[in-house]
Amino acid sequence: MINRSSSSITTLDASLHDSIDGVVQRLSGILLGKEPQIKQALACLFARGHLLIEDLPGMGKTLLSHALARVLGLSFNRIQFTSDLLPGDIVGVSVFDRDSSTFRFVPGPVFAQVVLADEVNRATPKSQSALLEAMEEGQVTVEGETRSLPDPFFVIATQNPSTHTGTFALPESQLDRFLMRIELGYPDPDVERELLRQGDRRGALEDLEPAISAERLAEIQSAVDAIKVSDPLIDYLQRLLHFSRHEPDFAYGLSPRGGLALLKGARAWALLHRRSHVVPEDVQAVLPAVVEHRLRSSADFSGHGGGALAQKLLSNVDVVG
Amino acid sequence: MNSLLENPKPTSRDASAGGVAHQIPRNSLVLLMLAQVVVVLPHAAHLSLWIVAVGLFCGWWRAMVYQGRFGYPRAWVKLLLVLASGLGVAISETGTFSLETAVALLIVAFALKLLEMKNRRDAYLVIFLSYFVISTEFLFDQSIPIAGYGLFAMVVVTAGMIGLNQMHTVVHPVASVKLAGVLVAQALPLMLILFLFFPRIAPLWSVPLPGGARSGMSDEVTPGDIARMTRSDEIAFRVVFDAEVPRRSKLYWRGIVYSWFDSGTWSVGPVPRLKRPEDLIHWAGWNRDAVFFPEHDGIEAVEYQVLLEPTRSNWLFSLDIPWPLTSGTALTRDFRLMTNDPVNSLFRYEVRSYPGARVDEDLPDWMRDRERYLPADDNPRTVAFARRLHSESSGTLDFVSKVLNHIRARPYGYTLEPPLLPKRDSVDAFWFDTQRGFCVHYAGAFVYLMRAAGLPARMIGGYQGGEVNPVTGHLVVRQYDAHAWAEVWDSGYGWIHVDPTGAVAPERIEHGLDAALSSDDRATLSTLTNLRMGDFPGLADLMYFVESMEHRWNIWVVGYDGALQANYLKNLIGELSPLRIGLAMLVGGSASLSLVVLALFWRRRAAPSHPGVRVFRRFCDGLRRHGLTRSPEETPAVFLTRLARERGFPEGQIATLIDQLDALLYNPERQADPSELRRLRRGLRRVRLQLALNATG
Repeated sequence: MINRSSSSITTLDASLHDSIDGVVQRLSGILLGKEPQIKQALACLFARGHLLIEDLPGMGKTLLSHALARVLGLSFNRIQFTSDLLPGDIVGVSVFDRDSSTFRFVPGPVFAQVVLADEVNRATPKSQSALLEAMEEGQVTVEGETRSLPDPFFVIATQNPSTHTGTFALPESQLDRFLMRIELGYPDPDVERELLRQGDRRGALEDLEPAISAERLAEIQSAVDAIKVSDPLIDYLQRLLHFSRHEPDFAYGLSPRGGLALLKGARAWALLHRRSHVVPEDVQAVLPAVVEHRLRSSADFSGHGGGALAQKLLSNVDVVG
Repeated sequence: MNSLLENPKPTSRDASAGGVAHQIPRNSLVLLMLAQVVVVLPHAAHLSLWIVAVGLFCGWWRAMVYQGRFGYPRAWVKLLLVLASGLGVAISETGTFSLETAVALLIVAFALKLLEMKNRRDAYLVIFLSYFVISTEFLFDQSIPIAGYGLFAMVVVTAGMIGLNQMHTVVHPVASVKLAGVLVAQALPLMLILFLFFPRIAPLWSVPLPGGARSGMSDEVTPGDIARMTRSDEIAFRVVFDAEVPRRSKLYWRGIVYSWFDSGTWSVGPVPRLKRPEDLIHWAGWNRDAVFFPEHDGIEAVEYQVLLEPTRSNWLFSLDIPWPLTSGTALTRDFRLMTNDPVNSLFRYEVRSYPGARVDEDLPDWMRDRERYLPADDNPRTVAFARRLHSESSGTLDFVSKVLNHIRARPYGYTLEPPLLPKRDSVDAFWFDTQRGFCVHYAGAFVYLMRAAGLPARMIGGYQGGEVNPVTGHLVVRQYDAHAWAEVWDSGYGWIHVDPTGAVAPERIEHGLDAALSSDDRATLSTLTNLRMGDFPGLADLMYFVESMEHRWNIWVVGYDGALQANYLKNLIGELSPLRIGLAMLVGGSASLSLVVLALFWRRRAAPSHPGVRVFRRFCDGLRRHGLTRSPEETPAVFLTRLARERGFPEGQIATLIDQLDALLYNPERQADPSELRRLRRGLRRVRLQLALNATG
């Protein structure tokens, strides 16, 4: 890896970077051998986006999200999506209080800073959209009253591969609302050996102390927005978008929101790597996670092929003019 | 008829006339109808009102069909309409087949076509007809505004065609018009090439050209006629002199010679029949001398080119004594120019004039008789006056000056609105009673006096003066410059030019009409004429400019005829042959097309790249020769690292380069620094040099 630290003589507070490194370190201690995924998840959070984790059961999805909430000192709720889940189970309901003879709003599990929507594709579209609307608006409306969600509000949705039975695949329009989609994957053999030797990591979760405060998180998020972007890099982004829209292999091109997401992710990635500006490597690092779930191969109607298309984008689009 | 109109259901035949794919898109129909209105509009001036009504009726019916309220007319209704319209054209054009008739027929048919415009094929027919109708307008008018309007109409029609080809759901009229504008603009170079090179083919059959009255000189003149012409500021002709423009008082534009007087009216009179036609006329290009052309050695000739506006008659205007240069023009025995065919569109001819040449020192007998003819027992007082004055004179010249002195001495007045004169004894009434008149009064009376005294004399009609346009330096002669003067013959002198108006209003000759007019007369002229006469200097400049544009248009576009084309092409491609002209058109056409291609290419070109990007790309291009190719996904840092690894460069050197590239390309805060760019270029060059050395070593 090329050391770029000399070019990163930044105005950013060095302690900001240190706290980010601290977060990464603690999370790596919980989720062994998954540093790239941890960084991507953090980049997604720092860029104020929502995260979709798609993998088989038991790969550590819940562990990652729970650990994230704890390390960042955020409140955490988990919603297990099932096919009979109702929107009220997500956003909350008003119940009649017999003592005071009034309706009292009981907030649903969505009122937390980190919400884990487990197996989101097992619920019906109606319930899915209740969550997805909350993600988009940052607020929910229950019985005519609008209630804002806590800030930061970070949804980590997990879904089983859509080929599993009893799933309602998220439509493209809703997939688009997730900034990134990552897969955790099986651990390396030696990491797995370590895991088997140490036993379940869930116990370690209880001892996990928050590494940063909510204010620090807000600082980090605004630092992401301050990361600079040069014209040649915007050119590269535009070439990527153009390629996705004009190649016949792509069923449809990346939307402008997709382009913005790519830039946001790249900014956060740059911050994670102590840079004050985005370099093409940042874009390349986040590109698969950002675009795979937004693309569909024109030869494939089941909603797959995004991975190959992302690779095609990377290997065909010239980084420099 | 009413029950028919209310039939809302299209017949089964209508339904089968075309599937959805063949129907006219709704929005494009609106554009098509608009295009029809636009192309017919300039014709409205010379169309009968009922044709316009037919057009509006058909448009209304089609609009009703469009809204789904009416059906298309049935076959017999259409037949009836066609027959009625044909009959209408025949009646309203009074049976003669002129150009107007043909155009009226075309436009009626064009309007009726609205009623059977159902599917795409019909729409295409309407579009092609529209293009044709645009071109027919040029038969009537070839001025700049009409040409501009033609272009505009072409854009609208093309937009209709584009609309026809758009998908049904996405018809954007404004976008169609924009695209049509671009298409027409792209066609302009090709149009120019065709205009320059395409052979001017003579018409295959002749259609009588637009008739109708035009202001201007006529072959009959009654005192007062020319005064009426001064109401018009229309342009009579423009003159381009080879050298400088002669003085205003020398500019007598001879047009018609009036030799015949009857019942108060001067006319050209019967042309005598002579055995030898060359005694009467000399056509330009005849390779024999004109027998009657005077001696002109030692006289400095004036050469000029006249661009005559349509007059619908045969005579041309020239300075004395003219020699025709353009083929198709001729010099007549009374030293005026004429053409073979009436001048129905802008006519350009060249003349060489010999001012002051002495003509007809000997007068043939038939001519002497002709130019001395007076009707018997008309104007007895004038005749008596002339004979008495002549008997007191020592000779012809003395008599002329006595007559002019008479005009000067008496209270004769020069006015645009002279009193009306009786048909009989009209000269008496003017000479002794009213004593107020315009140039024809004075010239006519003068000729009458001369003839009464037995001297050959004649009246000349034409224009006097003109106005130099300071922008292009050409002379503009307008209808209000119309003038009449006289010629009297004396043995030994030949024809002597006399302008009796000079005796009563010398300013008219020296400074033009405006100087000679009283304020009352000025008030009768139109505002525009007064403006042109210089009431507002700023406006006058603008008018000069507009007029000079018209002039250039006339010279370069309207006046670009077959002869000029041949001349021009000869200069351009040498000897003319069909092959050469074809080749020239081919070359020109492909040049104009490649112009469009180039323009498209220029628009599609990549945006100018970042200076850092340019430096890095050049570096990569150079490395390719050393077998190092950067794959597209390799960022500068990755590529340089690979280079260092594969070719063994010291890590420090490469790291510096990477830092520089990174800063230049991706750090917006450090981009605009030329010295940094130079340093980077030097560093990269060193890498390439080392690679080259390694390769040789």
